[in-house]
Amino acid sequence: MADIRLEVPAENSVLEVLYDGSELHQQPPSMSEHLTQLARKIDFATDGEEIKEEKKEEEEEEEKQPFQQPHWPLEEVRNKIRQALTEVSVLHDLLAVVKPKPPQYMVLDPVQADPPEPKAYIQFLSLKKSLQAAGTILLNGAERLRTSQAEMGRPGRVVGQDFHIELLRLRQNWRLKKVGSTILGDLSYRSAGSMYRHSGIFEVSKADDGPGGPGILSIGSGGASPVAPQLGPRAIQSSLRVTVPTELTGSAYIFVCIKKDEEDICSAQLTSSDFVSGETHWQQKLEKAQNVLFCKELFSQLAREAVKLTPSIPHLVVGNQITATIFPGIHLLVGLCHSDGKNGQKGGSGVLVPGNSGTGGVVVGGNNHGSTTNMAPTSVMAGASMAGAPGVGLGGLGPSKYKHEHDLEHSLHQLLHRVYHHSFQHPLPHPVYAYMGMSKRRRAAGPEGMDKTQLVNMMKEQTLLEQIIRQVQHNFLRLRTMYVIDQLAAEFKDPLIVSHWNAFNSPTRSCVKINIATQGYDSVLRTKLVIHISERSLKCICRDGKIMTMSFEPQELRNLILCQISQHNMAALQCLARYTGWTVLSSEQNVGTGAIEPLGNASTVMLASPSGNKVIGVHSGPHQRVSVMVSSSPRPDFYPSTVVSGQRWENLGASWQEVRHDRMEGRNFLNKMELLMAALTA
Amino acid sequence: MGVSVLQIFPDASRSGCIETEKLHKRIMNLDAVQCGMFTVDCDSYYTTAQTGGGVRKMHIVHNTETPATTYAILDTGSKQVTLSADYLFDLMLPRLDHMYQSKKNLKIESKGAKYEVGDFVVKIGTVTMSGHYKGILVEVEYLPSVTPALCWSLMREFMQSFMGSCVKPTVPPYLQNKFHDVHTPQDTVQQYVEKFNEFREGPTFTGATPSAPSS
Repeated sequence: MADIRLEVPAENSVLEVLYDGSELHQQPPSMSEHLTQLARKIDFATDGEEIKEEKKEEEEEEEKQPFQQPHWPLEEVRNKIRQALTEVSVLHDLLAVVKPKPPQYMVLDPVQADPPEPKAYIQFLSLKKSLQAAGTILLNGAERLRTSQAEMGRPGRVVGQDFHIELLRLRQNWRLKKVGSTILGDLSYRSAGSMYRHSGIFEVSKADDGPGGPGILSIGSGGASPVAPQLGPRAIQSSLRVTVPTELTGSAYIFVCIKKDEEDICSAQLTSSDFVSGETHWQQKLEKAQNVLFCKELFSQLAREAVKLTPSIPHLVVGNQITATIFPGIHLLVGLCHSDGKNGQKGGSGVLVPGNSGTGGVVVGGNNHGSTTNMAPTSVMAGASMAGAPGVGLGGLGPSKYKHEHDLEHSLHQLLHRVYHHSFQHPLPHPVYAYMGMSKRRRAAGPEGMDKTQLVNMMKEQTLLEQIIRQVQHNFLRLRTMYVIDQLAAEFKDPLIVSHWNAFNSPTRSCVKINIATQGYDSVLRTKLVIHISERSLKCICRDGKIMTMSFEPQELRNLILCQISQHNMAALQCLARYTGWTVLSSEQNVGTGAIEPLGNASTVMLASPSGNKVIGVHSGPHQRVSVMVSSSPRPDFYPSTVVSGQRWENLGASWQEVRHDRMEGRNFLNKMELLMAALTA
Repeated sequence: MGVSVLQIFPDASRSGCIETEKLHKRIMNLDAVQCGMFTVDCDSYYTTAQTGGGVRKMHIVHNTETPATTYAILDTGSKQVTLSADYLFDLMLPRLDHMYQSKKNLKIESKGAKYEVGDFVVKIGTVTMSGHYKGILVEVEYLPSVTPALCWSLMREFMQSFMGSCVKPTVPPYLQNKFHDVHTPQDTVQQYVEKFNEFREGPTFTGATPSAPSS
């Protein structure tokens, strides 16, 4: 008998809820009422099977039914329990009859359903199928094991070069993310501050051995290429393959040159045998692709600025080159050279031939290859035959006609890097209330009370193109100044021109110090001048403190130095006279008489010997040769005449006689003058 | 940024435009070039009662010549403290309203045309207080110098050349205190506040009778 628990519910049911919220609870039923209620819920008999005993009882009960009340509360329960006991007893008896081992009276027989028809064919099929599946799994596993074994055992393979380690290395240097089942990387400079719209996404995949096998063979047979052998094995090793967008394949650089004449602005063409084969190591490949992206951004930025700017001579943007006029007749050419891996050439119109100078430090063999084989177009073909040659081989057309300016290319890169830097780096400390990206000076503008013009000046920013043009102008002007000074130094050995270039300079400003001295007489006099070279003008500070500003025309500088040479000669002669005891009678910087100088003025010096009987006159101009005259004081040819009768007049100086000092002995002008003085004194 | 001097131009007619026309004509005779407009406005804030102590004033001044700046001048009667801040300071003022409250009817501004005469900048402004005309205020700035001592006599002469005898030969008291110091934009603004206060206090302000040279 099972225990029947009788429990009062925790709470009485609610009869009614009044409007004021109070609840009227039902009164708890009395013990007997409750028990009756519970007992009624129990139904022991599931079927209508009746047992006679029960029927008898029921009959007895039927008589009492009009009362509607059982005799005692548990009567119904008792009846049902008894009924259950009877059933169990019958079952027990039945089991007892059946149980003895040699069955005597009764046997239990299992009920047998009809066995299904055995279908051998289907069974065979399913068996085969499952065996096949298992076999495939095993074969796959074996294949994997075999490949990994083969990879491990491959000669020349660095241990540990498997895909995941490579991926880890890649991850250390590049930004990767997983999208679905593919691994994507990011080449762009966006995280560094770039605003270029190109996504710069590359895909990383596992290299399968399929193309790898033939790759070895082709490298092995392509031994003609000087670069392939050392690069080949390394390229094959990688078990990781990166796929960069087609527009970023190959390699690119920004070609910068300065052209002197108008002709053939667009007639140049690019010959580059630079090449990225499919099997290059991923690091190099990604670096190259990133470089391509950078160059493209730089160029597009420059082109945009070139179109936007409106200088007096407009900039020319044709195809992939920009032409800007920096000085009259002098042009700056900025081109984007991009060679993809297919044929080493891209861009139909207006591509450039960068002279014969190799670019970058990665010219391994391409340059030699290109120049030894043939002219430019064929060198492209030659370049194409060698796989995996990194480096820019530039076939030479006209030697040094277009000289690529490495330093200018470098400064262009620097400029864009600086733009990146400024877009993310804000000067610190940064007040919390100020706008982001506000410059330090702008922040101080309010408290310092800057006026409108100052504010407007502060907002002005030079574009990249303007900055590079200024740098190019300076670069050009510096080279030109250097050339002029060197030419003059080569031209004039007397006096000597020595120039000292300042090693510290900025991209738009440099400085040269020029010493003019006569050889052997350095201590007598040294004329010094300093020339500051800026973008479009030269500023010369002379020895006497005079400041002269010159334009970019080289003739002006040349004239100035010629004047300085002339003045140096005169000043040095006076100093020398002081040492030798001669007296300076007169010295005139700007002589008004004599032949007119094309530029500047001639100067003269008159020197008298210590005893006063000889006088030397020297006349020198910037463009005239130095002329030296001598006169002696008791004139040798004085004959008293009717007009001048007194003998005393012979003390007047005689007529001037020119000294042919170019025929004189002596190394230079001062030396000759010293000898002359000595001769005249003796 | 040079030295600025402010001068109230007496306006007997109290109409404004006649006198400004006269000044305009005179200054144009000096080969002046008109170059735009200018505005200097001044809001005054008073401390509320619950802050205790005496009532203090704070003037918030904006000058279109220095557009990025807001000047806050704390006026305790005897002493003036100038703070020049970024114009974002204006956004902070509503948060101070438990301390300082604006008197709307005391808003005063000087507005007018700006002229350039060589190294001088002349600003002829009409002063209005909450819409009512108050007088004429002329600012003369001498750009090449920053020290009043070095250029006062030159400026006085120039001012007398078009404003006549209303320009006193003595140095204005404000400049006198800073006669040998470097002139800053704050000094200009403080002079404006000083003059604005004069306009506020004396509604029927009349300067000396103009005996200006005929134009």
